[in-house]
Amino acid sequence: MEHYIEHGPAFAWLRVKLRPGVELQGEAGAMVRMDPQVVMTTHLNAPQNAGFFYKIWALLVAFMRKVLGGETMFVNRFTSGSAGEIVLAPTLSGHIIHHQLTAGRRLFVQTGSYLASAGAINTQVRLGGLRTLFGGEGLVLLECSGEGDLWVNSYGGVVPIEVNGSFIVDTGHIVAFDGALDFKVKSVGGIKSFFFSGEGLVCEFRGRGTIYVQSRNLKALVSWLSPLLPS
Amino acid sequence: MKYDILDSPDFAFLQLTLNQGEQCVAESGALVASDSQIEVRTSMRGGLLGAAKRKLLGGESLFQNTFTSHGSGQRLFLASSAEGDMRAQTLQAGQEFFLTSGAYVAHLGNDLVIDTKFGGVKGFFSGVGVFMLRIVGPGTVFYASYGALHPVSVGSEGYTVDTGHIVGFESGVSYRVRPFNGFKGLFFSGEGLVADFSGHGTVYVQTRNASSLVSFLHPFRRVKSNN
Amino acid sequence: MHFEIQYNPAHSLATAHLNVGESVRAEASAMVSLSNNIDVATNTGPAGRGGFFKKARRGFFGGESFFQNTYRARGPGASVSLAPQLCGSMVVHELGQGPSLLIQASSYVAAPDSVDVDTKFQGFRGFLSGESLFFLRASGHGPVLLNAFGAIETIALNGELIVDTGHVVAFTEGIEYSIDKAGGGWIQSFLSGEGFVLRLRGRGTLYIQTRNPSEFGRTVGVMLPARSS
Repeated sequence: MEHYIEHGPAFAWLRVKLRPGVELQGEAGAMVRMDPQVVMTTHLNAPQNAGFFYKIWALLVAFMRKVLGGETMFVNRFTSGSAGEIVLAPTLSGHIIHHQLTAGRRLFVQTGSYLASAGAINTQVRLGGLRTLFGGEGLVLLECSGEGDLWVNSYGGVVPIEVNGSFIVDTGHIVAFDGALDFKVKSVGGIKSFFFSGEGLVCEFRGRGTIYVQSRNLKALVSWLSPLLPS
Repeated sequence: MKYDILDSPDFAFLQLTLNQGEQCVAESGALVASDSQIEVRTSMRGGLLGAAKRKLLGGESLFQNTFTSHGSGQRLFLASSAEGDMRAQTLQAGQEFFLTSGAYVAHLGNDLVIDTKFGGVKGFFSGVGVFMLRIVGPGTVFYASYGALHPVSVGSEGYTVDTGHIVGFESGVSYRVRPFNGFKGLFFSGEGLVADFSGHGTVYVQTRNASSLVSFLHPFRRVKSNN
Repeated sequence: MHFEIQYNPAHSLATAHLNVGESVRAEASAMVSLSNNIDVATNTGPAGRGGFFKKARRGFFGGESFFQNTYRARGPGASVSLAPQLCGSMVVHELGQGPSLLIQASSYVAAPDSVDVDTKFQGFRGFLSGESLFFLRASGHGPVLLNAFGAIETIALNGELIVDTGHVVAFTEGIEYSIDKAGGGWIQSFLSGEGFVLRLRGRGTLYIQTRNPSEFGRTVGVMLPARSS
């Protein structure tokens, strides 16, 4: 799909040229501007070919995530009867990267990092680690596979890190990673939780593959600002 | 050992590569990622007694982390919580550098002194929980800014800076803190204090300040329900 | 006088360089630093030039009062440096022969006395989202300093465009605008997360920011400790 990532790496936005017959899916709330002939429809955040019971499960997961983390339950789909342009942007400062997904290659994306997709992409929610859904912590991942375009955003800059062995990342700093890597979420509790800018939840990766790490973290921002807030 | 500051000035990200036995000390909360052969040891600043004696001002961390590499080419990634830049300041033996406590990220060199009992700045940031660090070389200190880092050469004509925008300054510069005689917005938009700098040296100014961000976000906070 | 802008697009700093006797009016909370030969005067109360008092209302100045300071150069080489509340860019729009500029209230930073900033509001309050949209009108001649959350895109509009309200910085008068729901119906507008959009039609200059301050505020605000009032 014809697209342009502009104003990066600090405040990137995604400009897509829609042609008749193609559809762009974007996270709710991401639309910046669009030509008047572009049509927007809103859908529950579940794969298009999902069955009824999966939809109920997705609704429950999405509802819990919204209550706990402010994430949106819905996605918007954009089509255009004639050539038209649409621009999407994430909420936080940072960059956008494009992945071309091809058959056989999986990419795990942290749900907050998902911005948009197009083509025949399947996304399945994977809950990584302990205390995930109900603690509001942990890693909520989208396992993406299929063929098509995928756009993810980072809070801050994004650095691709090649892993060949073993590597540890604070969970709040994960944008996406190769499906080929083994990963395990660990709770680094007690005094060691001060190591990391998040809450002491880290992800240990093993194997060979690429991890996309973002240089800023929303929970670290909150920790930094909280003592400065008036009551 | 080598270091690289990536993505400067937008979202500076420090990458250190440490070989067997090499060390780095960092502010707790700065660690983003590392190769697994990096050992992390947490200790209290100034030892247990020093930490207990020092008054806890809001936002200060009692802890610091010492990273030691047990392999070759072990990578360590550190970042500040604020969106902004980062710099490395290499100091010669005895050379002084003054930094606001929130700006400190990490340092290299076991002989570097970080003096947190430097009391010469009473009233600098009254009660907001930020205090000055006096850093003495030899060694390298990594510090971060909220926003871009804007160096200003202070000379005989002097210069005045809002205290929320000060990151640090070289020795050779002196200052006087006073209330600003203009509007500074509502009460929590900064302390309304400015510092008049004089002397000769560089003052490091940051182009954003935390109080403004806090006052922007304040109306978006949930309201406590009265029970 | 002229504005010098550095560190675009992420962490912009604007320095107003003033000749002797010249002055610039700027939003009070924007001051970073100033040279020692500047006199500062405050604009008093709601009757003051360009000043007015407002309560802490969401999505409108983000809780800041719209107080302004006037900085006047007493000697040569005078300067005052300004920065907005959020990360992002700043841009100067030159007013002169062309049309006036309608500025989304929180995007206005500073202007000299030759520019008149009219605080007559084109106001609109979001029905479900609680978002507010207020415009100021800048006319006269001289540079107007605008800020954006994110980067700024300058569009030479000639036709029609739909823009999410939170992304509008400013546009020249003469462009027709109307507020509309983003989706087909009220429910979709709410669920889609888009809220309201501005339909713009005509010819002129349009400034858009690449991030939405209200969306940022809501996302982070809900994670912060609750406030007592």
